[in-house]
Amino acid sequence: MISELRNAYAEQSARIRQAFEASGDGRAAVAQRTVLLEEIVRGLWRDNISQQLDGPANFALVALGGFGRGWLFPYSDIDLLFLHEDQATEEAFRDAIRRFSQELWDLRLKLSPATRTLAECDRFDANNLEFTVSLLDCRYLAGDAEVFARLHDKLIPRLIMRESQSLVQCLADLTRERHAKYGETVFHLEPNVKDAPGGLRDYNMACWLALISAMDKLGGWPDSKSLLPPSARRQLEPALDFLMSVRGFLHFRHGRDDNALTWADQDEAAARKIGVPETVTAAQWMKVYFGHARAIHRVSTQLLEEIPAAWSSLYRHFQHWRSRISNADFSVVDGLVFLQQPAAVHDPQVLLRMFDFMAHHGLKLSTTTEYRIEQVLPSLASTPPKGAELWQYLQVILLEPYAADALRAMQSLRLLTLLLPELKTIDSLVVRDFYHRYTVDEHSFRAIESLHQLKQSQSEWDHRYGEIFGELERPELLFLSLLLHDTGKGAAVDDHVRCSLEIASHCLDRLDLEPSDRETVLFLIENHLELSAVLRRDIFDAQTVSTFAEKMGTPERLKMLCLMTYADIKSVNPEALTPWKAENIWQVYITTANYLNRHADQRLHANTGNENMLRLQALAPGAGKKIRSFVEGLPARYLRACTSEEVLRHFAMAQRLDSDPVQLHLQRGRHWYELTVVTGDRHALFATMAGALAAWGMNIVKANAFSNQSGVVVDTFHFTDRFRTLELNLPEWERFQRSITSVLAGEADLERMLRERLRSEGSAAAKVRIQTRIEFDDRCSSHSTLLQVIAQDRPGLLHRISSRFAHHKCNIDIALIDTEGQMAIDVFYLTSNGAKLTADDQRKLRAALLQELNGD
Amino acid sequence: MTKVEAIIQNSKLEPVKNALHEIGVEGMTVLEVRGHGRQKGHTEFYRGREYTVDLIPKIKLELVLADNLVEKVVQAITSAARTGKIGDGKIFLSRVDDAIRIRNDERGEGAL
Repeated sequence: MISELRNAYAEQSARIRQAFEASGDGRAAVAQRTVLLEEIVRGLWRDNISQQLDGPANFALVALGGFGRGWLFPYSDIDLLFLHEDQATEEAFRDAIRRFSQELWDLRLKLSPATRTLAECDRFDANNLEFTVSLLDCRYLAGDAEVFARLHDKLIPRLIMRESQSLVQCLADLTRERHAKYGETVFHLEPNVKDAPGGLRDYNMACWLALISAMDKLGGWPDSKSLLPPSARRQLEPALDFLMSVRGFLHFRHGRDDNALTWADQDEAAARKIGVPETVTAAQWMKVYFGHARAIHRVSTQLLEEIPAAWSSLYRHFQHWRSRISNADFSVVDGLVFLQQPAAVHDPQVLLRMFDFMAHHGLKLSTTTEYRIEQVLPSLASTPPKGAELWQYLQVILLEPYAADALRAMQSLRLLTLLLPELKTIDSLVVRDFYHRYTVDEHSFRAIESLHQLKQSQSEWDHRYGEIFGELERPELLFLSLLLHDTGKGAAVDDHVRCSLEIASHCLDRLDLEPSDRETVLFLIENHLELSAVLRRDIFDAQTVSTFAEKMGTPERLKMLCLMTYADIKSVNPEALTPWKAENIWQVYITTANYLNRHADQRLHANTGNENMLRLQALAPGAGKKIRSFVEGLPARYLRACTSEEVLRHFAMAQRLDSDPVQLHLQRGRHWYELTVVTGDRHALFATMAGALAAWGMNIVKANAFSNQSGVVVDTFHFTDRFRTLELNLPEWERFQRSITSVLAGEADLERMLRERLRSEGSAAAKVRIQTRIEFDDRCSSHSTLLQVIAQDRPGLLHRISSRFAHHKCNIDIALIDTEGQMAIDVFYLTSNGAKLTADDQRKLRAALLQELNGD
Repeated sequence: MTKVEAIIQNSKLEPVKNALHEIGVEGMTVLEVRGHGRQKGHTEFYRGREYTVDLIPKIKLELVLADNLVEKVVQAITSAARTGKIGDGKIFLSRVDDAIRIRNDERGEGAL
């Protein structure tokens, strides 16, 4: 008997498989298998339980879960409920149920049976959520229809109404847990079509949430066709057809309930046109997969956001708090963004501001807003925002804490590729690489996200790298580099870096970036694998470090590349950045940073064909000899630290020294003001400048001092305006510069100005105590002595240190001033009478500095 | 069968892998490790803080081989990883009783 059944089952299963292989129609295959299993279980019911399909009394057979939905994939579990009125039938049919189940197992079917009385079904157990959820898909198969009707029509609606809050909460928790297991992203190189975000489980979850919500409102079963809104159904139905075909294909191919879509499966699915009308490459087929998975993920996460608000008072309170951030353009309801004026969606500026709003607050778009954006995309495509205006909006978004989420939303709506067509080639792109887990675009978004998350992270390494990140002057350039660094992977070439560079170059042209910014972005993209390459060399070898340092050129570029490498590796897969790698990157970073500070005084010779020199001459062809003479003898670091535009400006200022011996240039940057002075060298010039700034209440955070062979000094001070003097009083800019000039000319009494400033400020206690450290190094320069001073930052500190130098007749060749929190880190290259400091000079200077700095 | 454990410099992983591939050895386990022998770590100062690297990052290779291959493999590793300076690493050899291929229960050298 069982062998006949087994043969019949095998024959029918083979027929379903043949039909699937011919049509690729997954929906039809699961429906046919459901019918086949219904016939089998009803047959077994007649054989083992009751000759009459609708008997016996008080006992029913119910299909649950996927079987109940009519979705039996080739190797899915068969969920059955043996439903009893009470324990009497349970006892009476125990042996019969065992025989029934045994026969299904003998057919090698994966039966998941549950035996419950009606009263037991009415209990909600948070630890067995699956059972309650599976009831939502229950379907009558055999036995007492009255018992089933009591379960279906009365008990389940009552249970759902009573437990809806807990049920939704548990469902949401399980979903978030499942999504977290898959890194919260649809974009896996080898996704699981059932459980990964955007998989079939998400579709089920969306339906369950909608069903619970509807039952809670209606007190009964809603019409299943109107469960999801039409806009969601429009997106979900094709996605569901596709995923059903893919899962069916995987089950047949693997011969078990294995839903992982491996690279080999992708090749085969593409070749066999699974879910697509014609043969495509595996990469193109995966783009179709991601398109559908993205639609399911979007709808399910929106439902997750929307539905809990109906019940949880805490959640509502939080969402109500979030709704306060609504403004004239956008309103926030239940964490979702709506346009205040729907017509404003036609304005590209409003659109970009909306993504900035999302990126700032960590919000999602409402379905309505998404729909509106999709409607305007065709008209936006004809006149997309571009040039500096687009870059202005884009950089603001990139700098926001939830930039990656906003970029994902833009990508999902095809807005990102409309604005930056260069990203089209990497949209949902699978590049097969043993280490990478995500598509190329998702990898880039994750890299951006990982830098934003450095600040909140508790990890020791994130904390260290977070400190460097906080010091960046132009983090937006690093973010843009990360967005574009792998665009070349879309081209079928071996050297993706070269290709990314070309693509990025076009993109930067369209964004109309400043030449120096463009140079930085291209530098980072070109060298984004450089630090990883250094990690494969001997990182403790001085030659490795010096070669790398020369390539980096400036500390700022080193910081950016170090962070880029850190973020790039971290976004490959969650395990890629081991503490071992993080430590090695850090080691390379600090040795290279130290190298750059300690080899800062190599002098430039204008005739040596230096690349920067050649570029300068090309930019100012008429300047000829004069510019060579200006650059001659400046430290090599000067050309690395300054852009070509800045060098030309300094050169122009130097040309005016004959008519006005003190040339100043003041400008405001994002973080601080920048004052450049070009003048002839003189005694205590640096100390005087530092003092004048301190007397105005300015806090010097960085400074560079350079001089050329003919004694022209280029000193640049970056300072914050502690009392907002310049910010609030535009006329003060003029007075400030006049004051600096008169101090330098010796016309104003600097000591009196400083005394007045210090008296008015009083002394504030330091939050963190920094111990003074003074370190001399004679080895790292051929003609000067390096002095590093680490001390508690305080008003007038730089003036006090540099005045000591002047007092001891030490000349500053180069000054590299930096501040980290309350710690001043100042490096000076000093000479005395044109030579290195003698041991005696160093001893006296050390004593004087210690007295000056510790004497407070 | 013999287990070969080789501690080498990070920079020598590629040359050693290539040398092993050349003599037909494909399978190996690579671990990122830290440690030191006679080559002690060093201290780097950065922004007034002291960063001491007392356990130096190294690469550890593990291979289990048929005995007749051992000398060839040792030769390949030493010649590819040697710089002649302190810190080149070490190779350890130990006996292995048996090997089992999990997929099909194959045992002994056939499972390697």
